[in-house]
Amino acid sequence: MSITQYNGSAIVAMTGKNCVVIGCDKRLGQQALTVDMNFEKVFRVKDKLYVGLPGLATDVQTLHDRIRYRVNMYDLEEERAIQPDNLAHMISNMLYQKRFGPYFCEPIIAGLTEKDEPYIMGMDLIGCLSSAPDFIVGGTASDNLYGMCEALWEPDLGPDDLFRSASQALLNAVDRDAMSGWGAVVHVITPEKTETYHLQGRQD
Amino acid sequence: MVPTEHHGDQWEPYVDNGGSTLAIAGEDFVVIGSDTRSSDGYNINTRYDPKAFKFTNNTVLATTGYRADCKSMAKSVQAQITKYAHDHGKEMSVEAMAQMLSIMMYQKRFFSYYVFPIVAGIDKEGKGAVYSYDPVGNMERVGFRAFGSSSALLQPFIDDQLGFKNRADIKPEERELHLPDLQQAKNIITDVFNGAAERDIYTGDGLQLFTITKEGGIELEELPLKRD
Repeated sequence: MSITQYNGSAIVAMTGKNCVVIGCDKRLGQQALTVDMNFEKVFRVKDKLYVGLPGLATDVQTLHDRIRYRVNMYDLEEERAIQPDNLAHMISNMLYQKRFGPYFCEPIIAGLTEKDEPYIMGMDLIGCLSSAPDFIVGGTASDNLYGMCEALWEPDLGPDDLFRSASQALLNAVDRDAMSGWGAVVHVITPEKTETYHLQGRQD
Repeated sequence: MVPTEHHGDQWEPYVDNGGSTLAIAGEDFVVIGSDTRSSDGYNINTRYDPKAFKFTNNTVLATTGYRADCKSMAKSVQAQITKYAHDHGKEMSVEAMAQMLSIMMYQKRFFSYYVFPIVAGIDKEGKGAVYSYDPVGNMERVGFRAFGSSSALLQPFIDDQLGFKNRADIKPEERELHLPDLQQAKNIITDVFNGAAERDIYTGDGLQLFTITKEGGIELEELPLKRD
């Protein structure tokens, strides 16, 4: 089994009409042994900008720390808010700097641009960016999430419908994946506000 | 070239030829969908190699896994079914066929068929029946089941739509009260197979939809799927 699957994770980001959602499961394991049931993998970068870090938990934490540091430095040096595409390239660059000894993590970025347009971006563990108009999934439940999202996603969903689709996709995907689950967190990002929902899921 | 020990060149008795199957049982019908692609690694052996076959006027067997084993197993099953009809002067029921397949598979316990079969039909009470198996013959009667290379993509969706898992409106225990009608079941299969063909390289080319009803017998529809 790959080291990216050692701790287990599931992350999904979806676009809607002037909104995006990003969600993750809460499990932290060591292979089949569950260690923590409240380990979130999606982090706030700015009010309308979130990053999901599926993969090896130690690298999830290290990357989160380094992203926070780099974003704070960006704020101080540039004196303006970092945009989603800037963040994507920043993380991509950070990952490629470790080209031959990578962080075992495949980040997913979700947010709204300056014009409040939805933005999602995925990348592999050495920072190769991949964009999609609809959804990006990651983690040990990614196959399950692909199946769910292909069936549930449709264009121009409002925040409520998008939240429902993403939540259903996430919960049903992790229920068929032994490595992820134990509840979920979903962030719904709209121009006015970002709301965070903690979802009750199967505890097994 | 430095002479080294050879590893990994051993003969492998099994190949996974990919493809997916999905069966849904309704109150008085069964639908079973399967794609028609057969692959070996990055090669497509053929775009039209059906995985599902009619066995009696009431039963369909769909199998993914190793094509040679699927066909060999299907041939043995067909032989037994024909023999049963001659011996008893009647067609074999789904229940009997399901149990027989389990036994036939377990008889090869230590050199199993590399197969993931689904048996679908109408049971003696006139209800839709779906039986799923593991490769050594462990059998379970279920309401719906997905197997094959896209099972991870298909199963969570039918858990949601037909098992009512993680839903606020209907509880999973009330599933029997909300069985799908024929058209709903067909729509679910075509929708989710299109999604699977989009993402899984081993599923695609064509979709076969078998519908089994008590009155209508077995009907087969063929629909296109993505060919890339």
